[in-house]
Amino acid sequence: MDKILRINMGAEGGPKATEEPLRDYSGLGGRALTSAVISKEVDPLCHPLGENNKLVIAPGLLSGTTGAMSGRISVGCKSPLTGTIKEANAGGQASQVLARLGYAAIVLEGKPKDDTLYKVFINKDGVKITPDNGLKMLGNYDLVDKIKGEYGDKIACICIGPAGEMKMSAASVACTDMELRPTRHAGRGGVGAVMGAKGVKVIVLDDTGMKMRSPKDPEKFKEANKAWVEGLKKHPVSGEGLPAYGTNVLTNVINEAGGYPTKNFKLGRFDTCQKISGETQAETETARGGSATHGCHRGCVIKCSGIYVDKDGNYLTKQPEYETVWAHGGNCGIDDLDSIAMLDRLDDDYGLDTIEMGATIGVAMEAGLAKFGDAEAAINLVKEVGKGTPLGRILGNGAAVTGKVFGVERVPVVKGQALPAYDPRAIHGIGVTYATSTMGADHTAGYAVATNVLNVGGSVDPLKPEGQVELSRNLQIATAAVDATGMCLFVAFPVLDQPDTFQALIDMINAFYGLNLNADDVTELGKSILKNERDFNTRAGFTAQHDRLPEFFKKESLPPHNLTFQVKDEDLDTFFNW
Amino acid sequence: MVKAEVGSTIESLLCQQLGLSPEYVENRIQTIFLDGKPVDNVDSATVKEGSTLALSAALPGLAGATLRRGGYYAPMRSQISHREEAAPEPHHEGMIFLKLFNLLLKELGPSFLKRGIWVKGKDLSDLFKRQPDDFWAGCKGVKLDGEKIDLKRLKEINWADRNVFLQVKPH
Repeated sequence: MDKILRINMGAEGGPKATEEPLRDYSGLGGRALTSAVISKEVDPLCHPLGENNKLVIAPGLLSGTTGAMSGRISVGCKSPLTGTIKEANAGGQASQVLARLGYAAIVLEGKPKDDTLYKVFINKDGVKITPDNGLKMLGNYDLVDKIKGEYGDKIACICIGPAGEMKMSAASVACTDMELRPTRHAGRGGVGAVMGAKGVKVIVLDDTGMKMRSPKDPEKFKEANKAWVEGLKKHPVSGEGLPAYGTNVLTNVINEAGGYPTKNFKLGRFDTCQKISGETQAETETARGGSATHGCHRGCVIKCSGIYVDKDGNYLTKQPEYETVWAHGGNCGIDDLDSIAMLDRLDDDYGLDTIEMGATIGVAMEAGLAKFGDAEAAINLVKEVGKGTPLGRILGNGAAVTGKVFGVERVPVVKGQALPAYDPRAIHGIGVTYATSTMGADHTAGYAVATNVLNVGGSVDPLKPEGQVELSRNLQIATAAVDATGMCLFVAFPVLDQPDTFQALIDMINAFYGLNLNADDVTELGKSILKNERDFNTRAGFTAQHDRLPEFFKKESLPPHNLTFQVKDEDLDTFFNW
Repeated sequence: MVKAEVGSTIESLLCQQLGLSPEYVENRIQTIFLDGKPVDNVDSATVKEGSTLALSAALPGLAGATLRRGGYYAPMRSQISHREEAAPEPHHEGMIFLKLFNLLLKELGPSFLKRGIWVKGKDLSDLFKRQPDDFWAGCKGVKLDGEKIDLKRLKEINWADRNVFLQVKPH
């Protein structure tokens, strides 16, 4: 992983690939690398769909190794949804395969001269870029089937569906899973639209003949990885809860807490949420012959995913995650798991962010385009997006655009990006992260619950008003660092609770790269990533005034706790003071 | 619903009345809600007549960490945290609503069912109506008020608004 592949899609005579050493980007991976490239090389004032934007695809620092849980891939660009810098990441096989092919990143640059659509094939012998208009407007599932027919099944794909081709701001970049299904998405911020603007439909990766990446100190790495796996398996979250129920284990509990945004953030509880809970979902999958425990990439030991089959036992989609079940479920008043699974399947096939689409349908329901709870209408609205009808184009550009077009006041977005599944009026600290994240509203921006282990930012006095801001800041620093490693964020709990597991992670990085990092170095890495991102956003015209939740969170109280969001603007403004 | 001596602390209810070990409560029950509010201290939070007590194992993600009792991130939801404000209720027998989530449902559910729980009639009717054939095949016998009845009758009985005491015994 010592080189960067740049593909200039606008080169004279057609797309041109060049390889170069890492130079200034040496030692960076995942989000650290994507944000460094975007911050340094992209004009913050450029049009996100224009030739001056770049799409950077980067495996994590430990991807392509035998290290468990190291299969996250980062996709970065200037976002067409938010106008800010963007990093969205995904699981699946692509990260491991791309890393084994030796690439620290693929950078798509420029813009094709016409609307020709290209496929990129990368293997040990090099890179081949071919025009293939026969792929136009194929859904991700049909696309991957076609590619499989051409290249066999020992591949991984990074691809876009029709939403990406139509340059919709809710478009995702899909990565194939172990079964070569396009189920893992770098969903947020419209990264798929940027790939579409570059004219690339699919990047096919074949690592046949390539070996696992070798550590500088193989024995120490093996030892650390063993301790790492043991730590993950023995913790009740990563070793029991997530494998049994997936992330949807959160539905019942967030609902109980009164923080489950329901019917476009009108209520904090959904009366029939148990019908779509992780417990019900796992039982349904198992009873029908699907699976409630499944990994998204080789080397995953948590296995928080699953296989969702229909009533006849036929594959429908992967196990929808908590965010998806919430967005298309409770947020739209829908309590039917089969309908939610169908919406997940459609999103994956069209290449759409499930959070953005669920929030958008919620806003559309608020506008009267459908009734809350009408699953069939929700499915039809998403199909409009896939077809690219005028209504579909509006919806496919996200909740903010839809809210504007239909005159809706309650539009749950920050910097144009839809809020995820935790109402900030019940859990204020998460609201701080939504408001201040460099990415727009993003729960994963402050997800790495290991800040006390890392000792990020020193001690916090939670009783002071600035305590919430301090906690959120520290979480975001820690998360940015984890996003650079390629590690799945679900490792955070064992890292939080078990100091030996945290040490094993540091030992793995050190053994692999021959380094001597400590917790302070990891913290510095996180800070530097956030600084790069903040700097880009500032140059793009974003100020502290953009670090705000929508007004309705301050004036509409949320039952059952009947609270508004109470963190003051002046406290939010201290977020980047470090 | 379960009958319990209300006015007790959660710790006393779970360990002394419901028979859970203090280790299990400490290590396994990581997230607790009393009337929808996350609880940090089981030694001081008291259960009242009609309270809803919800129990969960540890949960993933920031929300999981935030809702965890006494956790490092508990301040992030301080506005909804349980606070023991009202004067203590005198101890007496009463009814509380108990919810078991995720891993705890599997681990504690069978023993609660064996001990017996109170269920609202409509909920019980709905439960019976949505059970597949496998469920009924697994039922070896039914007693209603001490008298053996035909299994098929269970789905037909109109339980109306009554609270029904339900016991499930393994065979």
